[in-house]
Amino acid sequence: MIGVNLFTQNDWSAVLPLFIVACSALVVLLADFVWRGRTSAQIAIAIGVAALLAGGITAGLEYGRAYDAFGGGFVLGGFAVVFQEIIVLAALFSLAIYRTSMSEEKTSGAVALLLWATAGAMLMAGAANLMTIFLGLELLSLALYCLCGLANRPTSREAALKYLILSSTASGFLLFGMALLFGASGSVTLSSLASPALLTDPLYWMGGGLFLIGISFKLSLIPFHVWTPDVYEGAPLPVTAYMTVVTKAATLAVFARFAYAAIPPGAQYPLLIPFYLIAGVSMIGGNLGMLAQTDMKRLLAFSGIAQVGYIVAALAGATAQGMRYAIYYLVAYTFMNLGAFAIVALISGKNEEGSRLESFRGLAARRPLLAAAMTFFLLALAGFPPTAGFLGKILILATDITAGYAWLAGLLIAGTAISLYAYFKVVRLMYERPPVDAAPAAAPLPLAYVTVAICAVAVVLMTFYPLTPSNILPLTR
Amino acid sequence: MALILVALPILAGCALFFVPRSDRTIARATGAIVAAATFVLPLVASGDGGFAARWLSRPFTASLHFGWSGVSLWFVLLLALSTFCAVLSANMAQTRTMVALLLMLEGTMMGLFTARDVLLFALFWDLMLIPPFFALIGWGSHHETAWRYLIYNFAAGLTLLLATAAFGVIYGSTDVIGAGHQVIGSWAPWIFAGFAFAFLVKTPVWPLHTWMPATYADTPPAMVSVVSGVQSKAGLYGFFAIGLPFFGAVIAGWRELFVVLALISLLYGACIALTQTDGKRIVAYSSLSHLGLIVLALTSGNTIAFQGALIYIVAHGLFSAALFLILGYVEEREQTRTILRLGGLGVANPKLAGAFTIAALAALGLPGLAGFAGEIIILTGVFRGGLFWPALIALIPIILASAYVLRLLQDIFNGPKVPDLPERRDLTLGEGLAVAPLLAALVALGIFPNLLIGVLR
Repeated sequence: MIGVNLFTQNDWSAVLPLFIVACSALVVLLADFVWRGRTSAQIAIAIGVAALLAGGITAGLEYGRAYDAFGGGFVLGGFAVVFQEIIVLAALFSLAIYRTSMSEEKTSGAVALLLWATAGAMLMAGAANLMTIFLGLELLSLALYCLCGLANRPTSREAALKYLILSSTASGFLLFGMALLFGASGSVTLSSLASPALLTDPLYWMGGGLFLIGISFKLSLIPFHVWTPDVYEGAPLPVTAYMTVVTKAATLAVFARFAYAAIPPGAQYPLLIPFYLIAGVSMIGGNLGMLAQTDMKRLLAFSGIAQVGYIVAALAGATAQGMRYAIYYLVAYTFMNLGAFAIVALISGKNEEGSRLESFRGLAARRPLLAAAMTFFLLALAGFPPTAGFLGKILILATDITAGYAWLAGLLIAGTAISLYAYFKVVRLMYERPPVDAAPAAAPLPLAYVTVAICAVAVVLMTFYPLTPSNILPLTR
Repeated sequence: MALILVALPILAGCALFFVPRSDRTIARATGAIVAAATFVLPLVASGDGGFAARWLSRPFTASLHFGWSGVSLWFVLLLALSTFCAVLSANMAQTRTMVALLLMLEGTMMGLFTARDVLLFALFWDLMLIPPFFALIGWGSHHETAWRYLIYNFAAGLTLLLATAAFGVIYGSTDVIGAGHQVIGSWAPWIFAGFAFAFLVKTPVWPLHTWMPATYADTPPAMVSVVSGVQSKAGLYGFFAIGLPFFGAVIAGWRELFVVLALISLLYGACIALTQTDGKRIVAYSSLSHLGLIVLALTSGNTIAFQGALIYIVAHGLFSAALFLILGYVEEREQTRTILRLGGLGVANPKLAGAFTIAALAALGLPGLAGFAGEIIILTGVFRGGLFWPALIALIPIILASAYVLRLLQDIFNGPKVPDLPERRDLTLGEGLAVAPLLAALVALGIFPNLLIGVLR
């Protein structure tokens, strides 16, 4: 019986953080009517930062509370909160470098789109039925299609189109898989997919397979990664930074919930083993792909492919411990990766992004502290101590060995060995002598310096105080 | 206390980057004071300077646990001494940066030698690769050398990492250095393979040595004296700290393999050293040969051989550091290290020649100097351990050592004077001070090797 009180106040308060973020986007657009030009851009960013902070804080206040909102469509719990915080953090860091490579009149729209994308990603973090997953994913993706095309260069439009076409295809796979899963189980909630009766249903296996292919596209795991370098290269720098973390974090949240809570007992291994194989291939292929790159954004795109492979490897075997370390590594990756992006933004000129590797040549002589910080982030991505990248790898290795996936541990080591050359190629460029003199005048980005500092401190602190959230499981009830 | 040994040099090294780039005096003074402090501290401090803080409680327990005891104390002292000498001898373009890197290298290696946790050991293992890498890209003449050094050693560090993770999972804790029992089970050989690969690359042992000659030749003298003198001992320290206590049975099972690798290194290193003309490369290949002897000792399973190995580790650290430093002085004066283009320097530079002679004689194992004590005790131990033929074969490279060391000495300092070399100043007081502690220690340990033997009793 559908009544007025179908959804209670508790339901709405569970999604309050993403409502704050989504509604602030409207405020940003309204503010754009009142103020123009530079002021408008600054106000848009200020509102964006405030909205994200408010969203992050309200989400954080819910930590420790467990509630199934909207009849199980959105499951509030430690897991959702942690992923929402990661997403908000990444959105904040990419706002901090928003002034590069986008003209001022576009800022308001861009900030609004970014807030909507963030709301979509936050929805995915808690989504526990197929409908909410898709809703969140489309909100995230649609906003990103527009954001990709915002830079003042032709490659940006090309990136937007490429992303639109390929990502829609992936959504198609995902949606078809969802339809088959629904057909098999007769329900859209993830927990109903864990019924052992589904094991003999071919619809379930096909649906699960298509669903995972869709997920692989969104995580840009090899061989579904071909769109990633081009889109990352063409998109404006802050959008690329945003995509490297937020789309991956949100999709990982969906995958983790699916892998941990929506698979019948006994189907864990046969259904997911191809996915883990793909993750293993990504660790090797992503790192190999980095070797040939001459653009920092492309390099970090391939790096991200491999790093997501590491995170998926932590989830192999679906252990509680693995989930904690996956989150640990994801947080570490967020800091390492966005720290590196903030530095790319800092060496960018007013109209030109400093993402070509050549612009790093001799950086140590020109801006020694920035070069040192970049070296630090690259070392962290490569897994050198004393960084969270190092400890994260140890934790993932230990998980894989315990869970009986030692071969993934071996692939992780092999991939890391390959990645070393690519990361150190940049380090070497920065310290090369003699330094070239001409450097473009940098855009003033005080927030980016703050980002670099926060990321660097966080990466070190995480190494020596490796906190991992404990109240994560179960993911559905 | 042990934490100070690690933190002080690293922090001082970082602080030096805020000193003006062109500065020499402040950098060298700071470096020397820090290095001297790290030498004195373990000697005057009581106990083992233990410091421990919980790091991980799962998937296995790990602690930030530092402390020195027995064997590691000698590595700490050797490191502090050779850093002290290297800092004093640093005299080049950008001395400040070099001193800073040397201090960071010292701090990271102090961490390695005082780590009482395998995970911490692995952490510092990777960390200590970074300062020499920067020295190679900053001063080296070939970029490939830096790559080869880093990739070889980091790949080794990764197998160490994998082995550490597996060790932690199987053993339940990594906070076990100095207080452990043998790892048993079908995993043990695999885990040890990961450790051993890392140790043998770092030492290095044939056929994993190919990164080494170029690295030693290309790294500036001040840095290479520490890299060759102490960093190359990290793998051997690993045998003492992790290999023997936890995987003694595996080592015993693989004895033939280790003996063969060690003997090939011994012979191959000595033979190649005979054919080289670059002074630094001669010393580099002699290192391969000498360290092969230590690997032989460590895998022989005999306590006397272990004692000899420890003495020889310290001795080799001292004389190879001294040889590289003095070769650096020669290169700085004559702008070449090709021994064919040098000759008769001893006439004009008696002090330089004298210092080099002491180090060289220690390298060839002259009785009364530390090298001899190490060699003779190792050979006795290996022989007693039942390895008769290996002990006998190991004598050949020791004879060859006399040949290549004397050739080095002869070609540079004696013989006919090469006419086109300009006259240069003799060893200056500062340079002399930089090598004097190394030479004094060589003599002292040659006369009182018991200082070190007691450690393992």
